[in-house]
Amino acid sequence: MHTLIQGIILGVLTGGVYALMASGQTLIFGVMKVVNLAQGAFVIASAYLAFSLFTQFGIDPLVAVLITTPLMFGIGVVGHWLFLRPLRSEDANQLSLLITFALAMLVEGILSMTYRTTYRSINTSYANKAFDIGGFSVSAVRLYGFIVSCVLLIVLYIVLQKTRFGRAIRATVQNPQSATLLGVDSVRVKAYGFGLGISTAAASGSIYGLLFPFNSGSHYDLISRLLSVVVLGGLGSIGGAVLAGVIIGVVSSVAAVTWSPTWSEMTFFVVLILVLLVRPQGMFGRVERGAL
Amino acid sequence: MNNNRLSKRWFKRVPLVAVVGAALVVLSACSASTPKASTTPAASTKPLVIGISLSLTGDFADPGTAVKKGYELWADTVNAKGGVLGRQVQLKIVDDLSSPTQVVTNYQNLITKDKVDLVFGPFSSLLTVPASALANRYHYAFIESAGGGPKVFAQNLGNLFFIQPGPIVKQGDVFADYILALPAGQRPKTAAYPSLDDPFAQPIAANIQTRFEAAGIKTVYSATYPAETPDLTPIMTKAIAGKPDVIVSGTQTLDAYQQVKALIQLHYNPKWLYMSNGANSPVEFPSKVGAANTEGVFSSGDWFPSSTATGSADFIKAYIKKYGGNATGIDNSSVEAYAAGQVLELVAAKTGKVDNATIISTLHSGTWPTLLGDLSWDAIGEPQGSYLLVQWQKGALKPVYPAAIAQASPVAPKPNWAG
Repeated sequence: MHTLIQGIILGVLTGGVYALMASGQTLIFGVMKVVNLAQGAFVIASAYLAFSLFTQFGIDPLVAVLITTPLMFGIGVVGHWLFLRPLRSEDANQLSLLITFALAMLVEGILSMTYRTTYRSINTSYANKAFDIGGFSVSAVRLYGFIVSCVLLIVLYIVLQKTRFGRAIRATVQNPQSATLLGVDSVRVKAYGFGLGISTAAASGSIYGLLFPFNSGSHYDLISRLLSVVVLGGLGSIGGAVLAGVIIGVVSSVAAVTWSPTWSEMTFFVVLILVLLVRPQGMFGRVERGAL
Repeated sequence: MNNNRLSKRWFKRVPLVAVVGAALVVLSACSASTPKASTTPAASTKPLVIGISLSLTGDFADPGTAVKKGYELWADTVNAKGGVLGRQVQLKIVDDLSSPTQVVTNYQNLITKDKVDLVFGPFSSLLTVPASALANRYHYAFIESAGGGPKVFAQNLGNLFFIQPGPIVKQGDVFADYILALPAGQRPKTAAYPSLDDPFAQPIAANIQTRFEAAGIKTVYSATYPAETPDLTPIMTKAIAGKPDVIVSGTQTLDAYQQVKALIQLHYNPKWLYMSNGANSPVEFPSKVGAANTEGVFSSGDWFPSSTATGSADFIKAYIKKYGGNATGIDNSSVEAYAAGQVLELVAAKTGKVDNATIISTLHSGTWPTLLGDLSWDAIGEPQGSYLLVQWQKGALKPVYPAAIAQASPVAPKPNWAG
């Protein structure tokens, strides 16, 4: 029983981080109907940025989020302008898969050239610390990462719900033509939406770098996991992504502590398939419209 | 040296390797003529050209570059001494992009177009398998320092010689030797075996488990996790649930760091912790888990900076002179490549010849003192020695077993984690 509860605690904390990563992914889909295959690569790029800021300037990776978030937002906006904006709208959905995959390759290539392929990890003073809470071990990094993820998800929620920009994004998600007719500059909203989605990679990257060793190729495993989370939650639904992130964390963790590590990943996919059989659009997805 | 036990990709690519390798072999069989392997040198002043394909770009670029350093350092050293049998060594190194198809093309060109005198091996078992088969066809000796996986020896090639003390899967046997040599009352009673699903990791732990169970050490956990497992903390949570005295981890690199981190965070300190790989890296391991947390961790390997094996001190001096840095920064892949050259020198010194037929017939018997200790091979090039058991003590890797090479006594139980 102790092992099971320990597994659930681990799963919830790790799931929170996946939730943050996947929220950016699902936001981009919601706004642009683009499945962004480069999201994992941007998370890893952010992890490298946090690594450099920590090793060169001693900036804590969680503080570095304040620097990397606007930077990744800028990269997202420019990336959209360069690679996605030129696509004709009727081709955009299919071609964007190729474009974002190419973008992931580009980011991976740049990271390989810059940092070589050696695995890196960010070892802060609290990297190995753990709190003993009621006989259960709670890793400091996971706890801090979870808290940062929750805070950023709340900020993201407020931006989307309470600001004019957020309303423009939600309007674009729900009906791009009507939004344009009502004066929303959809090109700009899409660029900023893409930037906002990519900017969530910044904090995710810092936390990922604290939790796991990484190299430029780490984004492959990450993107398959993120896509699974987004599909489980329902494409375009941030609330769904958060819940699915926690589910993936808990299911994998509990399967590993109670059953076998070999089946740990499989168990999640079984849940994914079962949910999709009942609700093909995912837990919170809508069939035709976005659901931010 | 950890990286030559790569990887998931190894097996994923094997069918491709087999198909491409077979196709090229068939193609070459159809070609006009098969050049003969070089024989004795025509003139003593003619340089001895050694062709090598290395991964200078692609997935294995880092370890491939380390191998290149080892080969080049050996060539410089031997040339400074007047060369091999009076012939200056000239290395012809070509990049294979870490690709098992390109490596075949490269050796084909080196042997048939460039007509190099000898060849040395590439990096990784993945590339060694097709390359050694090709070299065998042309009757070239294949001295290689970085391909020791089961598939390499499964080819039953008579021309191949793996320049490490033993096959990779037997790397951990020395830890079992040490534990089972302890008085019965001091041995661990229970053991856990969390291992990576990898041909260069899991079999090492499985070998130890078989011997421990035969000796009455109870298994409380044994499981294999896939390479893509992102988080090992849940796995280690279960591994320690039975409070094992000893944890034997079949690890590569990443997962070794993650296991240690998980154990620290779960506040569990076993009396013995052995990790097949990852923990034997003098630079990477302390940088990934924190130097203070390395204390007491066991691993095994073939060479360490404090080694007293033949030529080790001279090698370190020459390495630092050529490449800078310090002894702990030397990658084992460089050492193993250098040892490949040493073996060639020894054959020349013993027989007075450096042709392929002589190398092949000579190396199958006798023992050959190198940086990696005394090496010897069976008929399929599988080395017959054993690895060294090392333990982290006061921030350094110390050989602790077998007693003949030990520079310190093994410390058990393991000191607690620094946190």
